[in-house]
Amino acid sequence: MSELTTIMSELVTMTSIDKSFPGVHALKTARFDLRAGEVHALMGENGAGKSTLMKILAGVYRLDRGEVRVSGKPVNIQTPRQAQELGITIIHQELSLMRHLTAAQNIFIGREPRKMRGLLVDEKMLNARTSEIFASMHLKLDPRAPVDSLTIAKQQMVEIAKALSLKSRVLIMDEPTAALNELEINELFAIIARLKASGVGVVYISHKMDEIKRIADRVTVMRDGEYVNTVPADTTPIDAIISMMVGRILGNEQVSIPDLSAAPMALEVKGLRRGKAIRGVSFGVRKGEILGLAGLMGAGRTEVARAIFGADPLDAGEILVDGKPVRIGAPKDAVQAGIGYLSEDRKHFGLITAMDVRNNVAMASLERFAGRAGVLNEDGMRDAARRFIHQLAIKTPSDQQETRLLSGGNQQKVVIAKWLLRECPILIFDEPTRGIDVGAKAEIYKLLNALASQGRAIIVISSELPEVLRLSHRIAVMCEGRLTGVLPGGASQEDFMRLATQRPSAVSEAA
Amino acid sequence: MINRRTLISLVTAATVLGSTGIAFAADKPYIAFICKGFQHQFWQAVKSGTEQAAKKFNVDVTFEGPDGEGAVDRQLDMLSAALAKHPAAIAIAAIDSQATVPLLQRAKDAGIKVIAFDSGVASDIPLTTASTDNLASAALAADKMAEKIGGEGKIAIVSFDQTSQTGIERRDGFVNQIKAKYPKIKIVDIQYGGGDHLQSAEITKTMLLAHPDLKGIFGTNEGAAIGVAIGKKEAHSNIVVIGYDSGAEQIADVKDGTIAGAITQNPVGIGFESVKAAVDAVNGKSLPKHIDTGFYWYDKTNIDDPKIAADLYN
Amino acid sequence: MNLVAEVDRQRILDRVKSSGAYHRLLAFSGLLVLMIGFSLASPNFLQTANVINILQATSVNGVLAVAATIVIISGGIDLSVGTLMTFCSVMAGVFLTYWGLPIFVGVPLAIVVGTCCGTVTGLLIAKLKIPPFIATLGMMLIYRGMSLAICAAKPIYFNSTPGFTDISTGTIVGAVIPEIPVPNGVLILFLVSMLVAFVLGRTILGRFIFAMGSNEEALRLSGVNSDQWKIAVYSLAGAVCGVAGILIASRINSAQPSIGQGYELDAIAAVVIGGTSLSGGRGTMLGTMIGALIISVVANGLRILSVPQEWQIVVTGTIIIVAVYTDILRHRATV
Repeated sequence: MSELTTIMSELVTMTSIDKSFPGVHALKTARFDLRAGEVHALMGENGAGKSTLMKILAGVYRLDRGEVRVSGKPVNIQTPRQAQELGITIIHQELSLMRHLTAAQNIFIGREPRKMRGLLVDEKMLNARTSEIFASMHLKLDPRAPVDSLTIAKQQMVEIAKALSLKSRVLIMDEPTAALNELEINELFAIIARLKASGVGVVYISHKMDEIKRIADRVTVMRDGEYVNTVPADTTPIDAIISMMVGRILGNEQVSIPDLSAAPMALEVKGLRRGKAIRGVSFGVRKGEILGLAGLMGAGRTEVARAIFGADPLDAGEILVDGKPVRIGAPKDAVQAGIGYLSEDRKHFGLITAMDVRNNVAMASLERFAGRAGVLNEDGMRDAARRFIHQLAIKTPSDQQETRLLSGGNQQKVVIAKWLLRECPILIFDEPTRGIDVGAKAEIYKLLNALASQGRAIIVISSELPEVLRLSHRIAVMCEGRLTGVLPGGASQEDFMRLATQRPSAVSEAA
Repeated sequence: MINRRTLISLVTAATVLGSTGIAFAADKPYIAFICKGFQHQFWQAVKSGTEQAAKKFNVDVTFEGPDGEGAVDRQLDMLSAALAKHPAAIAIAAIDSQATVPLLQRAKDAGIKVIAFDSGVASDIPLTTASTDNLASAALAADKMAEKIGGEGKIAIVSFDQTSQTGIERRDGFVNQIKAKYPKIKIVDIQYGGGDHLQSAEITKTMLLAHPDLKGIFGTNEGAAIGVAIGKKEAHSNIVVIGYDSGAEQIADVKDGTIAGAITQNPVGIGFESVKAAVDAVNGKSLPKHIDTGFYWYDKTNIDDPKIAADLYN
Repeated sequence: MNLVAEVDRQRILDRVKSSGAYHRLLAFSGLLVLMIGFSLASPNFLQTANVINILQATSVNGVLAVAATIVIISGGIDLSVGTLMTFCSVMAGVFLTYWGLPIFVGVPLAIVVGTCCGTVTGLLIAKLKIPPFIATLGMMLIYRGMSLAICAAKPIYFNSTPGFTDISTGTIVGAVIPEIPVPNGVLILFLVSMLVAFVLGRTILGRFIFAMGSNEEALRLSGVNSDQWKIAVYSLAGAVCGVAGILIASRINSAQPSIGQGYELDAIAAVVIGGTSLSGGRGTMLGTMIGALIISVVANGLRILSVPQEWQIVVTGTIIIVAVYTDILRHRATV
C-alpha cells in the first residue's frame, strides 16, 4: 500500500487531545487515527482514557484542546448529533435503547418514515426498512419485537443496525462482548467482518486479548491518558501489548491450591429454587476457600448469588452459615449473617457514585459509627476509609473524592473495602473484574487470594473462563438453573464445557 | 458566566419593577384595599368601584387579595406589606376577622384609618363597615324561591364556604326565612363547594340523584350559582335555581331561564362607598357604624332595567 | 511552589463547584440583588418592620420547605405537607380548645400527630410500594377531609389558651433587644432548620437520606434496612409539618380547616430554588432557607412597589424557572 492511499483512507485523525475533569487530568496530548475498512483496537487499563477519548469523538464530551479531523477536514464536534451527522456512532457499554419500543421503532427513532402528509408514522415502511438492514447483516430478527424481549446480544445487534441505518462510517464499540456468550460473540464478529468489508472503520475497545487477536488490524495502546504506541495486531505478541498497557511485565503465576478438607463449612446451600432460573442448587464453601461458580451466560449464576444474599426471594431451599440454618428474606438478613455481595454492576448496585469514598466504605457499617442520637463519628469513618485506601492501594486523591470519578478497578476496591469493614466472613464476588484492566485484574486476584488465606469463604462468579479456572480452589458448574458438577481447581476448559452444556435429560424435564 | 448572566437578568427585573414604584410615588393620599379573593368577578367589580372613586376623590388605591379564598395567613402577609407602605387608610375584607385584629390594631396605632368592607371585623377598630346585609338579602332569596316552587316541596343549598361570616349569614338568612314563613318547604341538604364552579356542579348533580323530587337549589355566591346551573344543565333537570351575585355567565343563565333569578349586591357600590368612607375618615369626618350598600332581586323581567343593570357586572 | 498553589486552587474550585456551595452562592447573590433592587426602588422596603414582615411571612412556608427538603433529598416527593400542617393545627385546636389540655401538653401532642401521620405515609411508600407522588397525593386529600370533618368545617379558636399566639407572634428576641422584635415564629424556623441541617449532615439518618436519594438499590444491597429508614424520613417530615401547623395556628389564633392546599407547591418551589435536585441525593438546608426567603422577598417587594397582583404571580414563576436553569447550567459546566 502506497503512502498516498494510506493518507487518502484516513477516516479520523485525532491529535494532541487534552481533557480534564474535576480532580482528574483524563487525557494528555492523546492521539488516535482510524482508516476506512479497518478494525482498530484501543487498549489500556481502566482510567487510561480510552472511553473518554472516544466519547470526545462521539460528541458526548467536549475536548479542552486538540484537533479532530474527519476525512481530512478539521471538525468541531459539540454534540452527539453533530457526530452522527459526520457518520460517527458510538455503541455504549450500557446500551441506550428504549426498552418498551420495538427494534424497528428504536432504529428509526426521530426519523420515522411518514404517511398521510407526515401526520402518521408509516409502520409498514418502518418495519420493511428495518428488515432490509437486518437482512444485510444476515440477522434473523423480527423488527416488531419489543427490545426488552431481546437478549443483550440481540439488543447490541439492534444498536449496530441503527448505526448502519444512519450510514455511519465510523463505529465505536465499547466492550461489546462483556455480556455475550461464545456463540453470540462469533455472530458479532461475523457482522464486524462484513462492516469492515463495506469500508466502515471500527474502533474496538476491549480488555480481552484473544478477541483483539481475532478481529483487530491495528492496536493503539494508551496509558494514564497518554498515547503509548500503535502496532499491528497480528505480529505483536500479547505479552508485548500487556506490558505496554501496564508499563511493566506481569507475572502469570498459578495459585497453589491449599488443602482445606479439614476446614469447617462457612456457607452451605441446599435445594435452592426460584422459578425457572434456579432449579435445585446445593453446594458448600469452606473457610479459606475460593469457590468458582461458573456456567455459560444465563446458567443462573448471578441469580443464585442474589438469592443467597436475599436480593431476590427464594421459592424453596435452605441456607446454613457456620452449620446453622439462617432465614434470609432481605439483604439486611444476609449481612447480619456475615454474607457480603459484590454486584456485577458496581455503578448501579455496589456504589453510591455521588458520594465519596469515605461514605461508601462505611455504608454497610454506618450503624457502628453512629453514636448517641445517631450522630456520626466522622473521624472514625475517615480513619477506617484511609486504612483501606492504604491497605488495598486504592488510587484516589483523598477519602473525600466522589466515587464516580474513580476508575473501575478502584471503584471495585471501594466496594471490597465496604464489606471488609463490615467484617463479612463470606464474600460473593459477581464478575469482580468486569470492566477492569489487566493490571488491576492481577491486583484483584491477589486480593481475593489474600482474603481467602485469612480464612474468609469466597464465591467468585465470572464469565471469563480462564479467570475462574485460574483463581478457584473448586469450581461449581451450572447449566440452565441446575448444578451439573463440581470440578477441582486447575481443571481444563474441556472439563468445564462438558458440564456447562450438560442439558438435563428429557426424562427429568418431563418430571 | 452564569453568575453574570443571572445578575444582569435580576438587575433588569429589579429596575423594571423599580420604575413602576417610582411612577407611583405622588402626593395623593394612598388607600390600600385587601380583599378575600382575587380572581372572582365580584372582587373585580369591587375593584372597579374603587378605581372610579379614586379618580373622583383624587387618591391612589391598590387592590389585592390571596389567590385562593380562605388563605388567612397570606392575607395577613398582604396586610403587613400594606402597612409598611404607610397608607393613609386601609380597607379590609377579612377572611377570618379575629386573625386580622392585631395587625389592624397596629394600623390604628400608626394613625392609619381602617375601613371594613364586604364583611365585618369582630372589633371596634374599623371606623365603619361597608357591606351588603347578607341576612336580609338571603331572606329575599328564600321568598323568591318559595314563590317560584309554589310554596311547598324539597329544596337544597349549595354554599361556597362554611367558615366565613358571609357564607354563614347567607345560609342562615335563607334557612331562617324558610323555617319561619314556609312550613311546607323542607331544606333537605346543604353542601359546600368552595365557590368552585366545577365542584358545585358535581354537588348539584349528586343532590339531584339523591333527591329526585327536589324542586329548587339556592347557590349562595357567583361560583356556587354558576356551578348549580351547570349541574342542572348536565343533568337535564328543570328545577328552580336561585343565584346570588352576578357575572357574565350568571346573567346569561338568568336570561335563558336556567337560573330563575338572583340577588345582586352592589359590588361597584361597595368599592366606591369604601373609598369615599376612607377619604372622609382621612379628612376627619365622622362615619356611621355601618354603610348598607344595598341589594336587588333580578330576573328575566327586570334584567335590562337600567337601575338593575348598573349593579350587574360582567 | 507556584504550581502547587495553582493545583490547590483548582482543587478548591472543583470542590466548591461539585458541592452545592456554588449554587447556594448564586441563590444567595440573587437574594441580595433582589433586596438591593427593592430597597432602591422603595424606601419602605428595608425598614425593620418590613424586614420582620418578610421573615414572618417566611416562617410557615420555610418550615414546610424544610419538611419537603428532607423528603426530596431522599428521592421522594411530598404533596401532603400543606394539608398535614392544617390537620396538625386542627388537632392542636382539639387538644387545647376542645379538650382543654395545657399548652405544654397539647402542642407537643399535635407534633406527635404529625409524626404519626408521616409514619403512615412512610409505610404506604416503603411497605406497600405506592409511589410517593400518589401516596402523598392521597394523604393530602385525606388530611384535608379529616380537618374539615373534625372541626365540623368551622375554625377552632384558641381564645381559651392564653399565650398560644405568643408561640408565633410573641418575641423573645424583642424582649432582649427591643430594636429588633423578631417574632418567635422566625426563631422557630431558624431552630428547626438548624436541627434538620444537623440531622442531614451529621447523623446516620441524614447519611441514609442522601444515599437513598442517590441510589436506593445500592443502599439496600449494602444490607441496610432501607424501608425502615424511609419510614423514618417521612416521620421526620411529618414532625416538621406538625411544627408548621402550630406556627400557622398560633399566628392566626385559629385552626382554619380549609387552608393548606397549594402550600406544598410553594414549599417545593423554595426547595428547588435552593438548589435541591428533584431527582434526589443532593440538597442543603441553607439553600432551602435562601429559596424560601427569595419567595417571600419577591412577594413582599412587589407588593411594596404596588405591582399589580397578576404580575406578581408571573414574576414568581419566572424566578423558579431562572433558578432551576442556573442549576442546569452549573451541571453542564461540571460534567
